[in-house]
Amino acid sequence: MSTTVIQLIINGLLLGGIYALISIGLTLIFGVVEIINFAHGEFLMLSMYGSYWLFQLYGVDPYVSLLMVIPTFFLIGWAVQRIIIQPIIDAPPLNQIFATVGVSLVLQNVALFLWKADYRTVRTAYSGLSLKTAGLMISFPRLVAFFLALALIAGLLTFLKRTYTGKAIRAIAQERRAAMLMGIDINRMYKVAFGIGIACVGAAGAMLIPIYYTFPTVGGLFVLIAFVVVILGGYNSLIGALVGGLIIGVVEAFSGFFLSPHLKEAVYFVIFILILLFRPTGLFGRG
Amino acid sequence: MSLNARKTSWNPSHPKFYFPVILVAFLCALPLLPQKSFYQDLIVMIFFWGTLAAAWNLVGGFAGQISLGHTAFFGIGAYTSTLLWLNFGISPWLGMLAGAGLAILVAVGIGAPCFRLKSHFFALATIAFAEVLHLLASYWRGLTQGGVGLLISFKPAIGNFMFRSKIPYAYVALGLMLLIILVSYIIRNSRFGFYLVSLREDQDAAESLGVKTSRCKLIALIISVFFTAVSGTFYAQYLLFIDPATVFSLPLSIELALLSIIGGLGTVIGPILGAFVLIPLDVLLRGWLGGISAGLNFIVYGVALVVAVMYFPRGIAGWLRARYEPFIMALPGSKQPVASEGAVAPAPVPSGATDPGREWTGSPLFRVESLNKHFGGLAAVRDVSFDIKKGEILGLIGPNGAGKTTIFNLITGFLAPDSGRVEFKGEEISGLRPPHKVCIKYIGRTFQLVKPFSNMTVLENVMVGAFSRVRSAGAARKEATRVLDFIGLLKYRDSLASSLTIADRKRLELGKALATKPELLLLDEVVAGLNPRETEEIIKIIKGVSGQGITLFIIEHVMKAIMTLSHRIIVLHHGEKIAEGTPEAISRDRRVIEAYLGEEYLA
Repeated sequence: MSTTVIQLIINGLLLGGIYALISIGLTLIFGVVEIINFAHGEFLMLSMYGSYWLFQLYGVDPYVSLLMVIPTFFLIGWAVQRIIIQPIIDAPPLNQIFATVGVSLVLQNVALFLWKADYRTVRTAYSGLSLKTAGLMISFPRLVAFFLALALIAGLLTFLKRTYTGKAIRAIAQERRAAMLMGIDINRMYKVAFGIGIACVGAAGAMLIPIYYTFPTVGGLFVLIAFVVVILGGYNSLIGALVGGLIIGVVEAFSGFFLSPHLKEAVYFVIFILILLFRPTGLFGRG
Repeated sequence: MSLNARKTSWNPSHPKFYFPVILVAFLCALPLLPQKSFYQDLIVMIFFWGTLAAAWNLVGGFAGQISLGHTAFFGIGAYTSTLLWLNFGISPWLGMLAGAGLAILVAVGIGAPCFRLKSHFFALATIAFAEVLHLLASYWRGLTQGGVGLLISFKPAIGNFMFRSKIPYAYVALGLMLLIILVSYIIRNSRFGFYLVSLREDQDAAESLGVKTSRCKLIALIISVFFTAVSGTFYAQYLLFIDPATVFSLPLSIELALLSIIGGLGTVIGPILGAFVLIPLDVLLRGWLGGISAGLNFIVYGVALVVAVMYFPRGIAGWLRARYEPFIMALPGSKQPVASEGAVAPAPVPSGATDPGREWTGSPLFRVESLNKHFGGLAAVRDVSFDIKKGEILGLIGPNGAGKTTIFNLITGFLAPDSGRVEFKGEEISGLRPPHKVCIKYIGRTFQLVKPFSNMTVLENVMVGAFSRVRSAGAARKEATRVLDFIGLLKYRDSLASSLTIADRKRLELGKALATKPELLLLDEVVAGLNPRETEEIIKIIKGVSGQGITLFIIEHVMKAIMTLSHRIIVLHHGEKIAEGTPEAISRDRRVIEAYLGEEYLA
């Protein structure tokens, strides 16, 4: 295989790890709370700004900021679930969709109001560092982000499998009423699930800021990718989100290189529509 | 959402009729009122957005299909007419129709297959599809000049769809808005309107009553797309500049839905109200807050959206509804006799009770041969054969999971059989799908978990069934009233179905199916969950149904009910028919006792 192809695969996988982290949050929320969080991208945007300001004002390295970002965003997710989602949990899908659309609108414009539209990124000592081996160039920040993302995902999956709370969450995702009958506090678990989902996306933001720019509408780009990943992987499968994220990362790398960089977006939308039409449960989803 | 089931005769001096006329006259005068161009522009925008929102409402409100990709059709309309004008000099009036035609083709080709998807997924698919078009418009420079956009040089002339003053634009927009209001109004009070609401409320139930759900959604989409694309052309001709970012924009799709939600989803006037309230508000906020800092107006907007969706789901129209009637009645001319309902033909008295236990003689009406259905490795229905004679009551019993409801689903088009033959009145209907076709052939069914159309009244619920045999709302109303009288729900005719008790919902379920005038009626556990008195009452009704000559096929677990009703019973176990005979014979059959009845039943 030519070096170019391997390079593309590596780039794709590295980015895919982060896509997977963003998407896992979305899948968790959708699988458990059963709403599509249209504001998911805006939380990513917020955490990117958060890490940016922590670096600018206090010199906190983005990867170190993870320690603060993860718990903070967990609480933010908890609050959003409690304040906005919980009252409309039984409302028709239209109302739920627009509630999160409204949140997305507000967050985007709060960011615009506070920080203006300028593009911002974080340049650390290692931002431009890359490892060179066998004719390949592997960007250091992306590599770190990839392993951190995988570590977080592994931690999450273990949590879900081993702890009571994790099992309770999985039970709800599979059969809500039976879970309630088993004494599981649904509303509390929804808050936990939403919190974890937002914490994931928050972590992803902290990992992305050394690699990407942030601006008020950056969420829109990533959330559409996240939707594609979630649908590709299977809307109720976490493993699916992981695999889907890696696949989309690679697809993006290849289509960016072989087709025009603009058309790579078109590629994943077409994939998206095709999956929805022909295999709506995705790769790993249960019917 | 009231579908105006009550009718009043035409009487121009009653405020019910003249007040809307006054409103329309006011709207017609509106463009001439302001002097300043700013306000004229505001009026144009209100009419323009009102039309767009009302168009979206046909699909999103009436039919309940949440499209967040309508901007695709807007953009197609805008670009088609503009490109035809710039490249070929074709008048935008004609280009408008061409744009609408193209948009409709695209909608049918791509949008329609997406109807299979459930709400959240449908919304996502529409977003994706609009984004693809956005990308196409941005990067196919040869066709669209890409992100630079298209500029139309100003050559005012009626034929060019360009005017010096804003007033003609306002009248064009008003014309479109009045047209879509008229179309929405006609639809709402027609069979099509009933069908749209029913499929929004419960698609399976609607299908079982003969509603061609796919076709209805498609028609609603086509009408909606027409007006959306035409509005796109209007926009291009009004601003004389379009680019992909403005006409293929997700915020635009969201705005359309927002106007309808805040105004009142699924109502005729809601989207218009939404436009009259939100567009001026948006302009005000932009001027007032947007000047302070970018984005502030959208923050307020977004908060308003969240609050509206959480606490005022019925929108302005919902709030207004309770106040409109008293307001109308307070106007001069309201104290006049309003035409009363035509006399309702008395329900036919059911002829003699059935005589169970004795073998029913009659010609075979319905036959099933070697019906098979597997789900993966599980044989749900295994080589089942039976027939039903005309006028008979055949019971179907068996343990849970035996395959009883599966057989119902196989017969009524909700599932496709793997193999086997189904014959009705001598005609083969094996695997006939979708369910509405089975209903049209005079086979009706109820569902184990009742499926009322919650937001329709009891009368309207039954009217949906009646519409499968008649076209006019008047005839459907009459037939539905007759059925309600027969099942004893006439006193609840104007109550919402969601307000009924479970016993009454079961009756309503029966009534809906009866209104489709079935010759063969499948009842799935109608008695389940009823107390003894309710059980007795519904058994009486079922006997009355049989007395009308309708053949019945009944699944039941309540032994008292099925033993007293059935002429014959078949027993299903693990997907296989293990016994068949009179209730007496079945209750003594060894295999049935072991599998299902239990030893105590013998005693």
